Amino acid sequence: MADVVDKVEPVVSVRDLRTYFIHKAEEVRAVDGIDLDVYRGQIVCIVGESGSGKSMTALSLMRLVPKPRGKIVSGKIMFHGVDIMQLSEAEMTKLRGNEISMIFQEPMTALNPVLTIGDQIAEVLVHHRRVGKRETTAKAVEMLQFVGVPRAEQVLREYPHQLSGGMRQRVMIAMAMICEPKVLIADEPTTALDVTIQTQVLQLMRKMRDDFGTSIILITHDLGVVADMADQVIVMYAGQVVESANADALFEEPLHPYTIALLKSVPTIDQETEVLYYIPGSVPDATEFPTGCRFADRCPLAMASCFETAPEVREVRPGHLVRCHLVD
Amino acid sequence: MAEVLLEVEGLKKYFPIQSGLLRRTVGHVKAVDDVSFQLNYGETLGIVGESGCGKSTTGRMLMRVMEPTAGRIVFDGQDLTKLRGKQLKAVRRNFQMVFQDPYASLNPRMSIQDIISEPLVVNGIVTAKQSEPIVVQLLETVGLRARDRFRYPHEFSGGQRQRIGIARALSLHPKLIVADEAVSALDVSIQAQILNLMVSLKSEFNLSYIFISHNLAVVKHISDRIAVMYLGHIVELATKDEFYNHPLHPYSEALLSSVLTPSRKVRRERIILTGDVPNPANPPRGCPFHTRCPKVMQECRVTRPVLRDIRAGHSIACHLHA
Amino acid sequence: MIAYIIRRLLGMIPMLFAITVFVFLMMHLAPGNAIEAMINPRIKDIAALKQQLEIQNGLNLPLPLQYWHWLINVLHGNFGWSFGQHEEVTQLLGPAMYNTLILAVLSEILILLIGIPVGILQARSPYGKFDYTVSTASFVLFSVPYYVFAIFLIYLFAIHWHVFPAQNSVGTGPLAGTFVDHIWHAMLPAISIALTNNTVYSRYTRGSMLDVARQDYVRTARAKGIPERVVYSKHVFRNARIPIVTQLGFDLGGLLGGAVIIEGLFSYQGMGYLTITAVSQRDYPVIMATTLIFAVCVLLGNLVADILTAVVDPRVRYN
Repeated sequence: MADVVDKVEPVVSVRDLRTYFIHKAEEVRAVDGIDLDVYRGQIVCIVGESGSGKSMTALSLMRLVPKPRGKIVSGKIMFHGVDIMQLSEAEMTKLRGNEISMIFQEPMTALNPVLTIGDQIAEVLVHHRRVGKRETTAKAVEMLQFVGVPRAEQVLREYPHQLSGGMRQRVMIAMAMICEPKVLIADEPTTALDVTIQTQVLQLMRKMRDDFGTSIILITHDLGVVADMADQVIVMYAGQVVESANADALFEEPLHPYTIALLKSVPTIDQETEVLYYIPGSVPDATEFPTGCRFADRCPLAMASCFETAPEVREVRPGHLVRCHLVD
Repeated sequence: MAEVLLEVEGLKKYFPIQSGLLRRTVGHVKAVDDVSFQLNYGETLGIVGESGCGKSTTGRMLMRVMEPTAGRIVFDGQDLTKLRGKQLKAVRRNFQMVFQDPYASLNPRMSIQDIISEPLVVNGIVTAKQSEPIVVQLLETVGLRARDRFRYPHEFSGGQRQRIGIARALSLHPKLIVADEAVSALDVSIQAQILNLMVSLKSEFNLSYIFISHNLAVVKHISDRIAVMYLGHIVELATKDEFYNHPLHPYSEALLSSVLTPSRKVRRERIILTGDVPNPANPPRGCPFHTRCPKVMQECRVTRPVLRDIRAGHSIACHLHA
Repeated sequence: MIAYIIRRLLGMIPMLFAITVFVFLMMHLAPGNAIEAMINPRIKDIAALKQQLEIQNGLNLPLPLQYWHWLINVLHGNFGWSFGQHEEVTQLLGPAMYNTLILAVLSEILILLIGIPVGILQARSPYGKFDYTVSTASFVLFSVPYYVFAIFLIYLFAIHWHVFPAQNSVGTGPLAGTFVDHIWHAMLPAISIALTNNTVYSRYTRGSMLDVARQDYVRTARAKGIPERVVYSKHVFRNARIPIVTQLGFDLGGLLGGAVIIEGLFSYQGMGYLTITAVSQRDYPVIMATTLIFAVCVLLGNLVADILTAVVDPRVRYN
């Protein structure tokens, strides 16, 4: 699996990314200092619960944070050595869908209901490649066939509501991949899908990586999907990275109490538990984070110092980063 | 032998498809087609299946919020499909529903006090005034605070709202709760809280559950028996251990093989089904699963297998195990 | 689709029947009748004359029979004789319908050209200067009754600047009766109708555009690298126009039935003007005719709205 990963220079490198939502005097710190490296052909999973800031991280990478309230307040987002934060809106438009693509959770609402599938796929090529109509259609058919859409020519003339959820997500992937981007950001791509369809779509994404060398940033709340797909895992909590490691290392020996708790609270079909482990309380309010560790009030191992000083991210094993006072 | 609380026999829901100038019925969407099962007192039956398999429609018919096209629903000795008006209202308090989206199912303009006491007041059990101590008790039962009763739904998180929905369902001391994707919209850590709550309430209130979900791991955690639905039919019905250890129907095998486990050690061999679930308006002849079945035989394309017992506590509808 | 349209058209028949029965009854229940309005009260032997006229016009018959006669005649394309204007009702309807058609279409064109584009521009930068200015102006325009504006327009364009005529639907001079002449006379009433409607449509368009702009598929379009201009003109507008097109269909139906107050104010000889004249004269045959046509227009407008919706929204299919 890892042989396609080329670790020389990251395709995407993010440093200290902060995305806030500012409304009147209130400041919601959705993403609060994220570091991230993605190499060629690598699948990086960002996992977290709602409110962790994982989806906003993804939108920040595309510079598509909802305006006017959302704003990337600081940070560097390097793509192939270029800081995309410095690009103009027009330059950014040329990058999106071309070099960096994104697919979303709800294939139902992510496709425009009044435009044909063909039109929606073709416009990507029209804007980025300036190719003729015939060539566009041929390429669209080829791509649909590649992602496993049967009767591709016919589907081009159909509208999203005429397709099933799984087919729509395949269309989304075809649309995102048609310019063969270097990076594909997938935000909960299988959450709305049935399990058997999820299996198909995940397999397809793996094929994309294998055939095109695409780097994939997979945003999910499902640790099962992470275990299945990830080369590298980033666990987010309350806008920050709490743990980051190689997938094998993370599942072998999770170190942050939050990661450990999260793994324990998932019911599985492989073991029997009378009472499920659960994390008491809920994620802190993003407008007023505590001064200490953000997980302290839910942490079973919290010490006095956890409530006083916020832990920094430390590399406790080679390549294994944890934000916790307790781990060493 | 345990006593039967609910017996469902030949339950069907067909939605007519009309067409043409005179709006003649040209066909039916067979959302639920000939479903039969039993539920014992104190038992939890998990109904699993993918979207469009008819599991939610089944749940709604059991709740008598949707009229079945055919079939019997015998609850505690009474055939619900024959009851109307007052009689139905009288038995209705014995079965309640918990929904997927707790926010959509709670009236945003009502206080928690009013939401939880509503079933009690509507059924004339207590007056609004008398209901207060009952509401306080219910809130504490589901892990909320007494003073939460003065607040409104939008002030609560998803998990808390689901607790409110459960408190409301419990207010009439029902015998059966039908939970339709009750934890699907919740975060894992919150999902675990609600599942634990539902398990503990079951013994405390002598409840029986029908737990409808697409999540096989969640269903395994809470259920005693499992029914797998596909295209309106139950294709496999078995006790939990039988089902998870020895699934027999090829569809169940594929479903179970698709479940992802948060571990790098458990590596199941995936059975990747091709294609999509067929359109229920135009279901395939023969076995409903034959278009996607990796073990399809000639017979499967012709006759529909019926659900029958293979061994104690395990029945499937499949020609392979005839 | 064809089957759907036929079914809808057939469905209109009982509705139209009920409407005409209702109007017929209402008119006969009201005190006074056309004969009284017609004859000079100082004539000798008024009772005998009245009786004679009533027999002549069939007004002495029982009501159901009167209605039956009317209905049979209408089905033969005969709306009767206008007591008030001493002419075949059909002769009156022709020019009135033509004038109203011009007025209705002109009003809708003005709405399409002004109200909708203004709403789109507002939605491009919501809560900006342009948006605030237009919103404020809209509220002012909307809160003042439109006949006040009509009078203001008459003063400004007709009396002060002599640009458009203030009265009538045809003029005199070399162009009299030509299409251009008709348009020219319809301008002020059309502007009056469009002025108020524009505030509604710009508001409506703005709301619809902003609603759509929040949808997931707009985010998808941006993620695909579609330029912002195209995102709005293609992805947002093609969805936002759906409810607007539906509304335009409805309104067209109403406008074709005649704009009573505006036509009255401008003495514009359309269906609305014909109706008020007839009402003041208790001219039953004319009232019945205009009512029936108004009802048909409204019902057809609804049908057109539904058909237009299906044209712009591929999810809507009738069968």
